[in-house]
Amino acid sequence: MALVSFKGTRNGLSITLNEGDWRSVMNELAAQLNRPRVQSFFRGARVLLETHSRTVDVNQLEELIALLAQHEMTLVSVTGEQRTQDAFDQVRAALAPSQPRAPDEIPAPFVNGTMPRDGAQAMLIHRTVRSGQKFRYAGTIVVIGDVNPGAELIADGDVIVWGKLRGVVQAGAAGNDQAIVGALVLAPTQLRIGAHIAPAPEEKTAAHFTAEIARVRNGQIVIEPWNG
Amino acid sequence: MPGQVLTITSGKGGVGKTTATANIGVALARRGQRVACVDADIGLRNLDVVMGLENRIVYDLVDVVEGRAKLRQALIKDKRLPELQLLPAAQTRLKSAVNEDQLKSLCESLKQEFDFVLIDSPAGIESGFKNSIAPADRVIIVVTPEVSSVRDADRVIGLVEAYEKPTPKLIINRLRPAMVKRGDMLDTADVLEILAIDLIGIVPEDERIITSTNRGQPVALEDHSEAGAAFMRIAGRLMGQDIPFQVFSESGGLRERLGQWFRR
Repeated sequence: MALVSFKGTRNGLSITLNEGDWRSVMNELAAQLNRPRVQSFFRGARVLLETHSRTVDVNQLEELIALLAQHEMTLVSVTGEQRTQDAFDQVRAALAPSQPRAPDEIPAPFVNGTMPRDGAQAMLIHRTVRSGQKFRYAGTIVVIGDVNPGAELIADGDVIVWGKLRGVVQAGAAGNDQAIVGALVLAPTQLRIGAHIAPAPEEKTAAHFTAEIARVRNGQIVIEPWNG
Repeated sequence: MPGQVLTITSGKGGVGKTTATANIGVALARRGQRVACVDADIGLRNLDVVMGLENRIVYDLVDVVEGRAKLRQALIKDKRLPELQLLPAAQTRLKSAVNEDQLKSLCESLKQEFDFVLIDSPAGIESGFKNSIAPADRVIIVVTPEVSSVRDADRVIGLVEAYEKPTPKLIINRLRPAMVKRGDMLDTADVLEILAIDLIGIVPEDERIITSTNRGQPVALEDHSEAGAAFMRIAGRLMGQDIPFQVFSESGGLRERLGQWFRR
């Protein structure tokens, strides 16, 4: 049996630590998380740890949390032996001020410039957002689908659209200039980041369709190709 | 087996909801289906005019709902097509004269006797629209290839989804192939790209629609009208037949083709 197994759940990424000595389990986990595709896929994940009969102490948990943090993942719960859970409570108490973060505290330096903030709360919308529909969220909004003209997205964090963004979009609505807007086709009716408003981009030809990202630089909204 | 309720709506006015309802009704009846057309545009009725049955109205939908007439008394048989009947709207009342539940139970009764119950929805997204969507088993959205019409249709699709109805089907009405070719009109792909729902028919612009509407003779009664043929195909698709979509790329009447020849 593998030393470490992964399972996606509704509440987050479940990681199970199976039998084996701690060092090899950690090496295995590190190796798994470092695989090129996995790395970006798990980034920002909430982790639910399952330790079964294994006892994990405070030091080991801290090591694990540090490893997860390198991949911008957050440990949110531990299921297993009572002593392991006690250890987690202890660690969590020590980390309390920064974990879990409230959505409105999100503004933090972002990594690689393009990914949603580490640990940020996000709203996932998996359909076409149509004219007259409006979404307001205190964190990041992620849409898998198109955002049509007449639709409105307002996020205190970032807005990421895996599709065509043609409606009105506001990122960093609470005044965060660090927020970004990214889309496969970025052609919004109006784009706002923090207090900045971008002029509507000129009509795009088919050849222009490339993923782009909008952000504030020197007090102006600039749009750049999205080089993930 | 009870029939199904099909609501025809659009959001924007003037895109051809009533004409589409009348012609789909005629086309389904010509294909042997028992059809009831219901005009839910209370206060602004005109399905009866388009179908040419205005002078035979005695009772209307509100009379039925308020118990002054039996359903059978209010239904008008179309003499041209025995399978086709119309339940007209009241002209002297307001949309508020009926509610969702009344329309639902009315449609339940109609479903027992007809294969298709077509509801012609009023324009807009207010109470009249909501009433006409409530009893629907399926919804058809009529859109013209114009940005404003597409925008409203998009809004309406969102509302229909919010009512937990099946995803609506789309009719693109009044398409003018010559204009599309010149790049002056949205084409089918542009419309579908935004609305992202399935097409059930494309109806080309046809001058005969105007005369037929004025005379109360829906084009689907004729065999030689392009629009009429398009409605016949839509009716077939509604009955579950697999009918390929016509490509209107190079069409246009003889005069138009001659005109192009002269301009060369």
